[in-house]
Amino acid sequence: MNFICNFPFFSILLSLFSGTICSVLPAKAAKVVNRVVIIAVGLMSAVLLLYLLATGESFIYWMGHFPAPWGNEIRAGVLEAGMALFFCIIMYLSMAGGAHKLPGEVVESKHNLYYILVNLLLSSLLALVYTNDMFTAYVFVEINTISACGLIMIRQVGRTIEAAVRYMIMSLLGSGLLLFGLCIMYDLTGHLLMSNIKESVGLIMASGEYQIPLIVSVALMCIGLCIKSALFPFHAWLPDAYGYSTVSSAAILSSLVSKGYIFLLIKIIYRVIGFDIFNSTRIIDVLFVFGLMGMIFGSLSAIRENDIRRMIAFSSVAQIGYIYMGFGMGTQAGMVASIFHILSHAATKSLLFIAAIGLTDVSGGSRKFIDLTGAAYRNKWAGAAFTVGSLSMVGIPLFSGFISKLLFAQAAVQVEGKMLASLIVLGISTVLNAVYFMKTVIRIYAYAPDAPYKGITFRDMKAYAVVLVCFILLNVILGVSSQPVVDMIGQGLAMFA
Amino acid sequence: MMIISVILIPLITGILVPVIPFQKRWQKEVFLETAVVLNSILVWYLLLHHSDSTFLLAHFTGNLNISFRVDGMSMVFAGLVSALWPFATLYAFEYMTKEAHENVFFLFYTLTYGVTLGIALAANLLTMYFFYELLTLVTVPLVMHTLTREAILASRKYLYYSLGGAAFAFLGLIMVIVYGSTTDFILGGVLDPAKTIGKTNILLLIYVMAFMGFGVKAAVCPFNSWLPQAGVAPTPVTALLHAVAVVKSGAFAIIRLTYYSFGTDFLKGTWAQYAVMSVVMFTIVYGCSRAVKETHLKRRLAYSTISNLSYILFGAVIMTPLGLVGALTHLVFHAVMKISSFFCAGAIMHQTDRHYVHELNGLGYKMPRVFGIFTISALALMGVPGLAGFVSKWNLAGAAVESGNPLAWGGIACLLVSALLTAIYMLTIVVRAFFPGKDFDYGTVSDIHDPNWKMLLPLFVFTVFIILFGVYSQPVVDFFMSVATGAV
Amino acid sequence: MYLILSSILFPILAGLFLLVRHRTPLSGETPTDRKSLIALTGCSLIITAIFVIAALFAENGFTLFYLTPSLPIYFRVDSVGRIFSLLAVIVIPCAGFFSFAYMKHEEHESRYYGFYLLVFGVLNALCFAGNLITFYLFFELLTLSSMPLVLHNGSKEAVMAGLKYLFYSLCGAYAALFGIYFLYRNCDSLTFTMDGALRASAIAEHGGFLLVVAFVMLLGFGVKAGMFPMHAWLPTAHPVAPAPASAVLSAVIVKAGVLATIRVLGMFGTDFLKGTWVQTAWLCLTLITVFMGSLLAYREPVLKKRLAYSTVSQLSYILFGLAVMNETSFTGALLHVLAHGFIKAALFLCAGAIIYKTGKTRVEEMRGIGKEMPVTMWCFTVASLGLIGIPPTGGFLSKWFLALGSLKSGIPVFGVLGPVILLVSALLTAGYLLPLTIHGFFPGADYDYNRLQKKEPCKLMRVPILMLTALSVLAGIFPFAIFLAYFAVTGR
Repeated sequence: MNFICNFPFFSILLSLFSGTICSVLPAKAAKVVNRVVIIAVGLMSAVLLLYLLATGESFIYWMGHFPAPWGNEIRAGVLEAGMALFFCIIMYLSMAGGAHKLPGEVVESKHNLYYILVNLLLSSLLALVYTNDMFTAYVFVEINTISACGLIMIRQVGRTIEAAVRYMIMSLLGSGLLLFGLCIMYDLTGHLLMSNIKESVGLIMASGEYQIPLIVSVALMCIGLCIKSALFPFHAWLPDAYGYSTVSSAAILSSLVSKGYIFLLIKIIYRVIGFDIFNSTRIIDVLFVFGLMGMIFGSLSAIRENDIRRMIAFSSVAQIGYIYMGFGMGTQAGMVASIFHILSHAATKSLLFIAAIGLTDVSGGSRKFIDLTGAAYRNKWAGAAFTVGSLSMVGIPLFSGFISKLLFAQAAVQVEGKMLASLIVLGISTVLNAVYFMKTVIRIYAYAPDAPYKGITFRDMKAYAVVLVCFILLNVILGVSSQPVVDMIGQGLAMFA
Repeated sequence: MMIISVILIPLITGILVPVIPFQKRWQKEVFLETAVVLNSILVWYLLLHHSDSTFLLAHFTGNLNISFRVDGMSMVFAGLVSALWPFATLYAFEYMTKEAHENVFFLFYTLTYGVTLGIALAANLLTMYFFYELLTLVTVPLVMHTLTREAILASRKYLYYSLGGAAFAFLGLIMVIVYGSTTDFILGGVLDPAKTIGKTNILLLIYVMAFMGFGVKAAVCPFNSWLPQAGVAPTPVTALLHAVAVVKSGAFAIIRLTYYSFGTDFLKGTWAQYAVMSVVMFTIVYGCSRAVKETHLKRRLAYSTISNLSYILFGAVIMTPLGLVGALTHLVFHAVMKISSFFCAGAIMHQTDRHYVHELNGLGYKMPRVFGIFTISALALMGVPGLAGFVSKWNLAGAAVESGNPLAWGGIACLLVSALLTAIYMLTIVVRAFFPGKDFDYGTVSDIHDPNWKMLLPLFVFTVFIILFGVYSQPVVDFFMSVATGAV
Repeated sequence: MYLILSSILFPILAGLFLLVRHRTPLSGETPTDRKSLIALTGCSLIITAIFVIAALFAENGFTLFYLTPSLPIYFRVDSVGRIFSLLAVIVIPCAGFFSFAYMKHEEHESRYYGFYLLVFGVLNALCFAGNLITFYLFFELLTLSSMPLVLHNGSKEAVMAGLKYLFYSLCGAYAALFGIYFLYRNCDSLTFTMDGALRASAIAEHGGFLLVVAFVMLLGFGVKAGMFPMHAWLPTAHPVAPAPASAVLSAVIVKAGVLATIRVLGMFGTDFLKGTWVQTAWLCLTLITVFMGSLLAYREPVLKKRLAYSTVSQLSYILFGLAVMNETSFTGALLHVLAHGFIKAALFLCAGAIIYKTGKTRVEEMRGIGKEMPVTMWCFTVASLGLIGIPPTGGFLSKWFLALGSLKSGIPVFGVLGPVILLVSALLTAGYLLPLTIHGFFPGADYDYNRLQKKEPCKLMRVPILMLTALSVLAGIFPFAIFLAYFAVTGR
């Protein structure tokens, strides 16, 4: 076995341990460790990705060389490696973009705690991405929940405590349901490793017995993950959690944490239940309908919102609706579109959160629209970045959002029964997106001659501006040369089977 | 290569405007005007010496790409735009002396030139869609220009409408991608009959949605309220963009969609044709009646534009080559007529700061040139024979009669009702200006006079063209005919 | 060719020259030299008249240029055109000279003369137009150039009347244009003919729709001729214009509508329309107009308005004659064109003279006016008799032909009803015109003769009135016009 095959394991372990190390380091050093770890993991993922592309097939890594069914397995394919790489990039940029805000948001003494949580979060995300074992997945789901809660709560204002509690309750409900489902599944199949479960599931479906319990178990797992990834109507925890936590946390939570669960769901669909069996259940129709409703109601809530960060948070609800709509189509194309949207939304949403903070900073820290008038003139970089993010969200060609829209629509056309509904909702949702994002863009470019706030120049925020530029580039790259990415997703999905 | 440079030159010029530190205003004027004129010359050279080859700029995904080509339709639109732009720029120099943030204005104004050319020269639906969205974005700052509350609201509405429309036009794009053999523009349509079996109704539904989507820019009822509101922009913008470039892009896109993507064979005689035709007919009358009610001069002209755009669309949805000829004729002729009347309105506002129709009493004697030209453009818009408007209406109505479609015959009636209403809203202005009434106090207009040559020159040129097209339109119409039959 | 062209272009250019050169003085500026203005206008009128008379003898048509490849601007002098042109060339200069005196008390004279000349040129073009497109072109221009005459005095009432005139006319013109679009597709060419130009195949295919088209066109052009239900503009617009302009409007310009109707009839061909619902409906409308116009005139107290209502009624005599669609009634119609043209011009000029000299506009104020202005009132009386149709005036002859044609036509109901209504209307005409004469010359016992002053107008006014009155009588005594009309019908 090639040395590179150890990388997934290394990266999980590295981030896990670095988290522990951070607890004893001073804040400055913890920050450095955190950055280095993210970069290292990112590099490893990149190398792994190249390796996998070169070999063209996925591999299974036995932890401690115990074979199944006793051992714990890690599985790496193109999709997993790519996702890990992408998560690292977004996480690095989010951390870097929010770094200058951290001293104001979090008490000095808790800075190293903050980095611990980030590292733990990263490790749990990586584990969710790579694991081939349902129970391991469950364990890391819990770790993920706890670290996410910590990230929300670490900024100690009243609202975040409330938000964290709410998040905790909903999340635990979700993981509880997941656990239920898992138990039933274990009961039915006697396995915890994904590949083994899948075989048994195939047998059960063929035999015709215990189908209902199986469906119930799948449904429970789905609902659990839906709650955790804030699919409408389980999104109540989301706006506060994203809206009031620190900038980096918001960016990471919205673009990575929920995506981790979604990715887990994809793995369950493909590797545990089997794509065809999953599609033959009614669950996809339910996901489809909730996805469509999320697209509409998320945007409607965003339109009503008067606080820029909560607006962006609500927009996430709509975007997650898109992803589930893709699942609900029950086709390969729909799945590809969803996965692409995971990437594009992650890139865009974190950009928006980071840019929004730049705008609120030059508006006296207020997040109300009325105070943001003309903010783009005071912080030109943030203004431009926010505009790019908005345009991407609305789906203007040249930006990543357009490609995901294109892929969704193309996928929708191939599904006879769901075509019209998805196309029309896609159209309406674009209009709604345009309404609230463009409202904001125009607001920040409106002229406010008597605003009391001072502007900020490039010199004052070099690092921040560089991060914004990177985000914009990421968006544009995804938007302009999407073909390799789409190919990779297709390849990765093929490896799943 | 040249095809991409005519798009890039305006873009670069525009970006250079705020970058270069001009010492004096005239230097900037010379720089801009030279660039614009040069580009227009290049465009015309390109159109006259075009080859059939497609210039591929970039691959998007799969078989989707950004590429450019010159065909008959693009010759019409690119030719029109590039002919009008230098004059409009010249006019803008004089007009903008009274407005702030000149650099930003000229930046986006020139960018728009490039983007509009992009729409005109696009070789496939995706490229056109791309520039179509871009056009919305680069024109928003122009609408917002004054940054007053009114302007902000207007630009917001403009954005919502345009982007929302594009979202539905996007569905049409998807249909062509999925059910077409290619996304390139080919006269007669690209839908693959093998793929569309059994999907006709869905496709027609999506066509109607895409029509309405692109129709937002062409101000089809009920998506037209952004246009009069966008009249808060400086007049060069309202004149060139909201009477020519932007709104005509909508009409142009619809023609592309109808004739070059979905194909008239597929659409003709279906319920979709009747649906869009009814909408268009309603808009023709609706726009005019609103214009009659409107008392703000520029908004009145904007409503008139709404109605006239639907003339173009009416020609387009007749879905015969003759209908296309009618549409193209009105596309070009209306551009000249409306830009002329808008520039007159702008000249009036610039010289007198009067915005409402009832304030124009007696100005005809003090600004005889402007109001003389305004009268001519009014008569042309009404469709008095001997002026451009008559020819285009003649072609439209002729196509409608020839199509044998009873609804289209009803459309002729709409055209004529609208002509009557046009007479009402245009001539009341003329009558006010020249016949202010017995007890009018000429003292109130004593210090008003015609504007200087920069404003008048474009007006004179447009007027000459109105008359020229009116009495001798043969070569132009012949050319449109060859476009509509695919000979070019 | 050059004669026709110069008869059209010369007055138009002269008019434009006046409009541009003699710009109306604003307050504080010195007024333009009135003498030179009048000299210029007068010369232009006379020269144009000479051109027109010479052009009447032109034989060949010619195409000036092509609007679009299939739309030639084509001029030709034919016999129908000659009759209308004859009317125009007599009435317009007469009224023009009258206005030299009359317009002294109005402002913006140069504007008035400018548009007056424009109207002259456009009317000539209308008479000489050889196809429907050319005709339509000048029909629109006629509306536009005559509108300033209506709203000349600039009062609110006049401006509203002018706009009303404009919109009614345009409405009619557009209805006609609707028809032209369809005619263009269903005819081989739009060149005028008297025998119908529709393709046989087109009639067979959608004859029913073409009937609708014909009706719409007749209604549309009928607006200009003041036909019910689109007559309302006429009694508003004609009286507010200066009197000579009213004369031209009432006597000549409305005849453009009649000319148009004749052209349309020719294009569709009487064979196509005869006996159809279109004919019946049209007859019905004309008879309603005849009766209603007279009745309204009878009730109207203001003299010029009364005359305008009379115009409504009289024009529908002509249209009735056309609607009957046989040669006798056609001859009657053409004769009535001339007769009514001269008479109505004379009547309006008389009314103008009265207003100019006494300022009186209402009929009841005009008691004893015959004593004050005997010549004018005599002319008024003679013209009135002509309009009523007392032999030997022109009016008698034309009405005779109209009634005869109607009776001969054999159309059920209307064939007989028509002449009856014409007769009743003639009685009403007597009823609304003769009281003026009676009270004018016989003011009654209580009339205060001491305050009587001679207010006879100057020669410049008297001569045109006399000429037109004389012509109205001559048209009846020496019916040279009959021959002209005869030629028109037979096409020789």
